[in-house]
Amino acid sequence: MFKILQKELKTFFKDRRAVMLGILMPIILITVFSLAFGGLNGKSDNKISVLVSDEDKSATTKLVIAGLDSVKALEIATSSTDSALVLVKAGKYPAALIFHKGFGDSVKEIKHLPWELRYDAAQSIEMEMMQQYLMQNLFSSVGKMMSEKMVLRNTQKQFVGMDSLAMLMATLQVKKSIKTNSADMDYLQKNIMKLQSEPVEKAKDNQGIIQAVAGTAVMMLLFSLTAMGGRLLEEKESGTLKRLLCSPLTSNAILNGKLLSSMVFAVCQLFIMLIYSTITFGLVLWPKIVPVILLVVATAYACAAFGMFLASVVKSREQLQGTSTLCILIMSAIGGSMVPSFLMPSWMQTVGHLSINYWSIQGFYDIFWRQLPINNIVFLEKVGVLTGIGLCFSVVSFGLFRRNIASMA
Amino acid sequence: MIEVKNITKSYGKTQAVRGISFSIKDGECYGLLGPNGAGKSTTINMLSMLFPPDSGDLAIGGIPIGKTNTQIKSMLGIVPQEIALYEKFSAWENVLFWGSIYGVAGKALTDKAENLLKWVGLYDRRKDAITEYSGGMKRRINIACALLHSPKVLLLDEPTVGVDPQSRNLIFELIQQLNKDGMTIIYTTHYMEEAEKLCNRIGIIDNGLIIAQGTLDELKTQSQVNDMIIVDCTNTPDEKLLAEKLKTTVVVNENRVSVLSNDSKKDLTHIVTICNDAGYEINRIDIQKGNLEGVFLKMTGKQLRD
Repeated sequence: MFKILQKELKTFFKDRRAVMLGILMPIILITVFSLAFGGLNGKSDNKISVLVSDEDKSATTKLVIAGLDSVKALEIATSSTDSALVLVKAGKYPAALIFHKGFGDSVKEIKHLPWELRYDAAQSIEMEMMQQYLMQNLFSSVGKMMSEKMVLRNTQKQFVGMDSLAMLMATLQVKKSIKTNSADMDYLQKNIMKLQSEPVEKAKDNQGIIQAVAGTAVMMLLFSLTAMGGRLLEEKESGTLKRLLCSPLTSNAILNGKLLSSMVFAVCQLFIMLIYSTITFGLVLWPKIVPVILLVVATAYACAAFGMFLASVVKSREQLQGTSTLCILIMSAIGGSMVPSFLMPSWMQTVGHLSINYWSIQGFYDIFWRQLPINNIVFLEKVGVLTGIGLCFSVVSFGLFRRNIASMA
Repeated sequence: MIEVKNITKSYGKTQAVRGISFSIKDGECYGLLGPNGAGKSTTINMLSMLFPPDSGDLAIGGIPIGKTNTQIKSMLGIVPQEIALYEKFSAWENVLFWGSIYGVAGKALTDKAENLLKWVGLYDRRKDAITEYSGGMKRRINIACALLHSPKVLLLDEPTVGVDPQSRNLIFELIQQLNKDGMTIIYTTHYMEEAEKLCNRIGIIDNGLIIAQGTLDELKTQSQVNDMIIVDCTNTPDEKLLAEKLKTTVVVNENRVSVLSNDSKKDLTHIVTICNDAGYEINRIDIQKGNLEGVFLKMTGKQLRD
C-alpha cells in the first residue's frame, strides 16, 4: 500500500505543471471569487452611480443633491433629463434621479414632491438599495423641516378666529414645543415624499432567468468549445493533422473548418439552451429572434476562437484541460456568469470587461431586459466587441498554429 | 519524377538532415533505409510538403516545391508512420473523407473507395469502426486512404511498424502491385528485408546523410561486402580485440558478434580459434550471404538496429 502511495505521489510531483495547477488554481480562484464578491480585506468599494437632473434649480434641490453627494455609497453625476434617460436606457448608468420643476415649492407647501427615479431594468435589484439611500438623504435634508411645517400648518388651523398678535404668539409657542412623531413621518414618506420609480424600458422577462440562462449558457459554451479546440491536439497526436497538412488543403482552410464547426456547435448549443428556457421558464424569445441570432453568432465566434486559441497555445490535452478550467472559471467569475456584475466592486466590474462572458451576458440583458432594438448602438457595441475578441483570438491562434507546424513532424 | 538536391533541415540545434541528394525515376520504388533518428521521416515530411527544407531544392514531376503547391500535393499519396485515421469513423467513412479532401467526389469517389477496400481485403468490414480493426487492418486502410485520388507518387513512411508477419506480407503484395502498375514509390524503413524485397534502388541514410545509394548489387559492390558471419557467444566478447585480430569490420552487440568477411570459410576458422583462445564460449554460428545489413555495417560501422 505504501509503495503505491509513494509511487502515486512521485508520479504527481514529477508533473510540475499539474502540481502548479493543483496548488495555484484553488488559490487563484479563491482570490478572484473573494475579490468579486467580498472586496479586499472585507472592504467593498461598490458604489452605485446615479445621474441627477435638476429641473427645479432651487435652493432646496441644491441642498438635497449636496446631501446625496456626501453619501459614500452613491456616485453622483449631473445631467439634463433627456440625456440622463438616454444614458440609462443605454445601460451606461444604472439610474437617473429627476427633480422636476416645483420641487422646492412643494417642499415648502408640503405638497407631493415632483421627483422620480428612472432606472435600467437590468439593475432593478440594485434600485431597492438606491431608493433607501435617496429616502434617507431626503429625510435628513428636508424631512425635519417638512415635518415641522406640517405640524404647524395643522396647528394653525386651530387658531382660526384669533387676532393676528395672538396667532403670532401661539405660533411661536408651537414652534418651540414642536416635535415630530412617527405618524407624521410615515405620512410624509408615503404621501408627500413618495418617489416615483420605474424602469426606462419595461422588461417582460424575469431578470433572474436572463442572468441564469445567459450566465450559464456562455460558461458552458466556453467549456464545450475548449474541448472542441482540444480535437486539434487530438489530431496532432494521432497523425491525422499531419495527413491533412500534406493534403491540398491549406492550414487556413483546416483551421477555418474547425472554427466553423465549433461555431455551428456553439450556435446549436446556445439555441437549445434558449429554447429550453423559453419552454420551461417562459423566456420571451421569438419576438427578439433577430438580435438573439446576431448575439448568439457573435458569442459563438468569440468562444470558438477562444477554444482554438487555447488549443494553439498549449502542448498537450492535459495542459489544455488545466489551463482552460482556470481561464474559464476566472472569466465566468469576473464576467458575471456566476453572480451578476453589478453586485461586484466597481473595479472588478471594469476588469470583467476583459471576459467574453461580460459582453455576451450584457448583450442578452440588452435584448431581454433593456428591450433594446437590433439597431441600437449599445447593443451593437456588444456584438462588435464579441466579434473583435473572436477576430483577435483567431488571428493569434492562426499565427501560433502556423509556427507550430514544424513541430508536428 | 523526383529530384532532391542537397536539402538540409534543423530542429533547433539538432541537424536532422545534413545535405541529402537523390533522384527517382518515374515508376521506380526507392527505399530510404536507416536506423531510427537517421533523418528518413524528416526527408519524407519535406517531400510531403509538410514543411520546406532550410536549404536545397526539391522538385516533383518537374515542379519545384514552394511554400504551398496544390498541384504537387495532388500528385502525392501520403502514408504516414502513424495510423492517421479517424478511429470513430468506419473504414468506408475514412476512405470517403480522405478522398474528398483531394477533390474526388460523387460516383467516382464511391467506386474508387469500393475498389480500394476490396483490393486491401476489407470491403466486407467497411462499416466497422476503425477501433474494431487489428493493427494490420488499420495499416491497410491507412494505405487505401492515400490512393483515392490515384496519386503519381506514393510516399510510405515505415508502413509496417507494429504489424504481424502475415499482414506485413499482405502489405508487401499491395505495394508491389502498385509499383507494377507504374506508381513511383518512396519507402522508408529500418528493416533491410523490406528494402531488399520491395525497392529497385536503396539509399542508405545515417545521421542525416545518404552514405550510399544504388541497387542492392551496386551497394554490395560499392562496399565490397560478400558475407557476414554472425557468432552468438554466452558472454560479451571484446570488440577491439576481435577487430585487431581479424583485421575487418566487427560489431559486438551484447553477446552477438557480426563480422564482415570476403572469405567466410577461412575467417570462420579464424574466429572460432580467437574465441576459444579468449575464452568466449560459442552458442551458434550463422553465415549470411552479402546483404544490406552487411553493407550498412561496412558503411557505418554499426548495425542497423543499434
